[in-house]
Amino acid sequence: MSVKAFELVPAVERDLLMGDKARINIECIECCGKHLYVGTNDCFIHHFLLDEVTSAKGKLSYSAQKLLHKYLGLKKPVAELRAASALERLIVLCDGVVFLVDMVTLETVPSAAGGGAKIRGVIAFCINENPVNGDPFCVEMGVLSSKRRTVQIFMVYEDRVQLVKEVSTPEQPCAVSLDGYFLCLALATQYMILNYNTGAHQDLFPYNSEERRPIVKRIGREEFLLAAPGGLGMFANAEGVSQRAPVNWSESVIGAAVCFPYVVALDESFITIHSMLDQQLKQTLSFRDGHILQDFEGKVILASTKAVYVLVPLPLERQIQDLLVSHRVEEALILTEGAQRNIPKEKFQILHKRILQQAGFIQFGQLQFLEAKEHFRKGQLDVRELISLYPLLLPASSSFTRCHPPLHEFADLNHLAQGDQEKVLRCKKFLISYLGEVRSTEVANGCREDVDTALLKLYAEQDHDSLLDLLATDNSCLLADSVPWLEKYHKYFALGLLYHYNGQDSSALQLWIRVADGDLQDSTRSDLYEYIVDFLSSCSNLDLVWKYADWALRKDPTIGVCIFTKRPATKELPELNPDDVIGYLGKHKQALLLYLEHLVLDRQIQKETFHTHLAVLYVERVLSLLSESPTDDEQLTKARERLQAMLRESNLYRVQYLLGKMENCEHLLLERATLHGKLEENEKALHILVHKLRDFPSAEAFCIWASSRRDSAYRQQLFHLLLGVYLDGSLPGQSQIAAGGGSGELEMAAVDLLNRHGEVFDAVRVLRMLPEGWSLQLLRPFLGRAVRASMHACRTSQIALGLAHSENLQLLHDRLKERKKPVVVSAKKGCHLCHNTFSEPDVVCLPGGVPVHTHCVAQRVRDSPTKRQLTNRSNHT
Amino acid sequence: MPEVSKLRKPDVKIVLLGDMNVGKTSLLHRYTERRFKDTVSTVGGAFFLKQWGPYNISIWDTAGREQFHGLGSMYCRGAAAVILTYDVTNWQSLAELEERFLSLTDTANHDCIYAVVGNKADLTDPKAQVHQDSDSVSEEGPRTESQVLSACPTPPASPVSLSGLMLHKQVTHEDAVALYGRLLRYKGLDEKASLPADKMCFETSAKTGYNVDTLFETLFDLVLPSILRKRNENKESPTVDLEDCRGTGKKTRSSCC
Repeated sequence: MSVKAFELVPAVERDLLMGDKARINIECIECCGKHLYVGTNDCFIHHFLLDEVTSAKGKLSYSAQKLLHKYLGLKKPVAELRAASALERLIVLCDGVVFLVDMVTLETVPSAAGGGAKIRGVIAFCINENPVNGDPFCVEMGVLSSKRRTVQIFMVYEDRVQLVKEVSTPEQPCAVSLDGYFLCLALATQYMILNYNTGAHQDLFPYNSEERRPIVKRIGREEFLLAAPGGLGMFANAEGVSQRAPVNWSESVIGAAVCFPYVVALDESFITIHSMLDQQLKQTLSFRDGHILQDFEGKVILASTKAVYVLVPLPLERQIQDLLVSHRVEEALILTEGAQRNIPKEKFQILHKRILQQAGFIQFGQLQFLEAKEHFRKGQLDVRELISLYPLLLPASSSFTRCHPPLHEFADLNHLAQGDQEKVLRCKKFLISYLGEVRSTEVANGCREDVDTALLKLYAEQDHDSLLDLLATDNSCLLADSVPWLEKYHKYFALGLLYHYNGQDSSALQLWIRVADGDLQDSTRSDLYEYIVDFLSSCSNLDLVWKYADWALRKDPTIGVCIFTKRPATKELPELNPDDVIGYLGKHKQALLLYLEHLVLDRQIQKETFHTHLAVLYVERVLSLLSESPTDDEQLTKARERLQAMLRESNLYRVQYLLGKMENCEHLLLERATLHGKLEENEKALHILVHKLRDFPSAEAFCIWASSRRDSAYRQQLFHLLLGVYLDGSLPGQSQIAAGGGSGELEMAAVDLLNRHGEVFDAVRVLRMLPEGWSLQLLRPFLGRAVRASMHACRTSQIALGLAHSENLQLLHDRLKERKKPVVVSAKKGCHLCHNTFSEPDVVCLPGGVPVHTHCVAQRVRDSPTKRQLTNRSNHT
Repeated sequence: MPEVSKLRKPDVKIVLLGDMNVGKTSLLHRYTERRFKDTVSTVGGAFFLKQWGPYNISIWDTAGREQFHGLGSMYCRGAAAVILTYDVTNWQSLAELEERFLSLTDTANHDCIYAVVGNKADLTDPKAQVHQDSDSVSEEGPRTESQVLSACPTPPASPVSLSGLMLHKQVTHEDAVALYGRLLRYKGLDEKASLPADKMCFETSAKTGYNVDTLFETLFDLVLPSILRKRNENKESPTVDLEDCRGTGKKTRSSCC
């Protein structure tokens, strides 16, 4: 509970003061610089020189040298002594009389001519330490007189005292303190504040001064410390307001003083020390026969009846450290912050930071992580101090050494946890979250490598998901330090990422391939093979691509080929030459096919070799499927569809070459027809389709396909050709209902063709071609459509004509409007051609708006060898 | 543990008054620390500095014991709000407010706001038994009602049965409202011009947190104008006069030191 804030150091021992004379007691003391004055009950003043001596161990002691003692000749105890150092006078109260003695000689100062140097009938007096009067050569003194209920204000000069003010009080005062104009008085039944300048007064609180000795102690500007009922030390300011919470003394307090941030009080047997910051009792010192406690210029001096002691405050830092040692974090911080105004700013900041850090470590040791974190943050802790607690986390290359003196008592985490693995785990989790939070803040400045490496190690050890996030983003993990750690925890995939981040893609790939091949165990990614393929597809080092693509292709050509097909086309990545890739893929047929498909179908590269190569691969595949027995029909169908699509769609492959490839294959007639079509050998193609395959829908489809990018005349020609092929084939039967199906089938095909695609044909030509015997009914749809088409064409052209005419008129109208000049025709004007006047409104206008007779123009046009187009006919009047 | 003053200057003062054992310290504690714990009888007084927006509000917890009665008017001096606290299970505690404590408020600001607060409502009112602080649950973990009761030694002034039975409510809300009315009359304030009784009479439970935040936050909002006025006054004269009716030659003094 207690703090050691003060130490009691003897200053003047009994022997020095009174020897063995038992009856002599100390009555009052005064200290002024090194000069200590002691007043005794036998009317002596003793003058000592008090020297501070600091031993080699730093222990403070006092040596007192007696300079003088002087009998005042009144046979009464010396009740009060006050030094007025500027005047070199001691103000003495003895036997109810205040008088002055010389500070050095202790001789009584004789009265000056103009006024007395003595005040009689005094029970108590006080010096104003904060006088309103600025005169340095006089001292303001408040005096309580024994006879009247008044307080007198005196000015004390070198050789005289002068009454300047007298104020009356409602009751007899018994103790007084003075600050500025404010008198703080203990009256018989209460305390009050009295402004001697204005006479205004403020009751503070009731107090029975007969029961207990009142204490009125000025502790600062316009603030007083008072003994209150119930053994309280109350604070009151000049306005009569308490601004600090009271401290709890014993009932029998004799004297009190403030030595910031402590309130020191003396009772019969103890010195009690309370903090003004939290009102708590901080220290108790046993002190027998305590008699006097006073503070002089910040120095607290106590006296028993026989000896004098100094209460020496321990250095603040030591007090704080003591608090921290006993884990009283809050109190230590309160004390530190409370001392802010007593310490130079820079020193305070350093101290404060350190205390915050220490506080943080104490709380950390108690696993109060939230509080610890807050203190680390406020104390701007070098995060490596924390990391260094965890064995092996700091990289070997780190230059960090713990701060000295140490911030905490722990050797390391194991020491802290005392073998409690759960504690260790909680500490580790805390560090993970803490480092995660600070790594991107300025806290990590200058030690990013240490922070990130430590974090990596923790993540790896704790099997934490964020390991990959850490490595996949900007980080400063040290490779050398991380490799063994990641290997230890089988985080090979993560290690690969780290290699990659450090530009060592080759090492990364080697490692991953070993994992993918099962040589190393790391279950981080079940799709590691796909990851490697993806990695290679966007790898900027082409040597690595060539080196490891083979491995990938052997493992799975369809996925492996993605290295080449999925390669993003960006400027950052060097491009792969397709020819090189094709050469490389020579061994991997399946992959090569996929790659060519990628080039031709996806990327639409218009290059003959790729197209031919792909087509040949298709052909080979179909042929190899055909040669199997039994043939897999489904596969074959698919393969053929691909081949046919390729043959139809592409115009780049070498047709003759492919034709040669499938020359002897009777299975690939459709493909051959397509090839003939490509060569515009339409007759051959149709021949194959109609006669060899007898596949009429394909024949029709061929016509449509082969003419798809040509004009309608070409299509018509093709369809006529097909019709011709059908009809030629059916001729030998000569009969409308041919037997045996063969020619009848062709006839039916011809009919279907006409009925289905009637619009393509030239109906007149078809009618000429058709055999005489065909029934009208058979061809009704064709004929109907042909007639309708003809009608439609006729009407359409009429409409077109009409539209063109109206458009022409519209244009003429617009043009006339453009000119904006009316063509004036009148009976007085003559025609430009015949010079006769106009007799009717119908005129023709020549270019330039010149009106002429209609018949004159007609004449002229008839006469003119060149046919000139005349413009505008209008009816202007 | 008493709160730290942190050396900030308070802008305004709120004082808790009331007989001993009505729960003044517990109310303040519940508000500042969000929990209910054993308190010992307050010696003298203590205060807590609350940061409310940009303002510092000091809340003084006074000692209810007769012994310290004399200090009350000093604590109240310059107060912007006074919380008169009684115990709903103890009629005498309400009577004491009128007999002993009302006169202490004579030193408070002339525009001081008064709240009449009946604490320990959880002992008589089922709706006050619901723990209001969401954080108190997580902080203290699950605890059953019987644990709560046994863990909380009720001060001798208000005996409570451990069985959790409701105690007889000795002071009704209407009693408190009536007291508030008499308080206004004592102050010579017009009831219509003052804050209405139903706004300024609270029933709280420091144990469950019932109404505690409402009480303090209502008061904080109400004293804001007082803070602003005080700040404006301070701009004009940096020291508050000892007795403004006689403030003659004192202003020269204020600039010294």
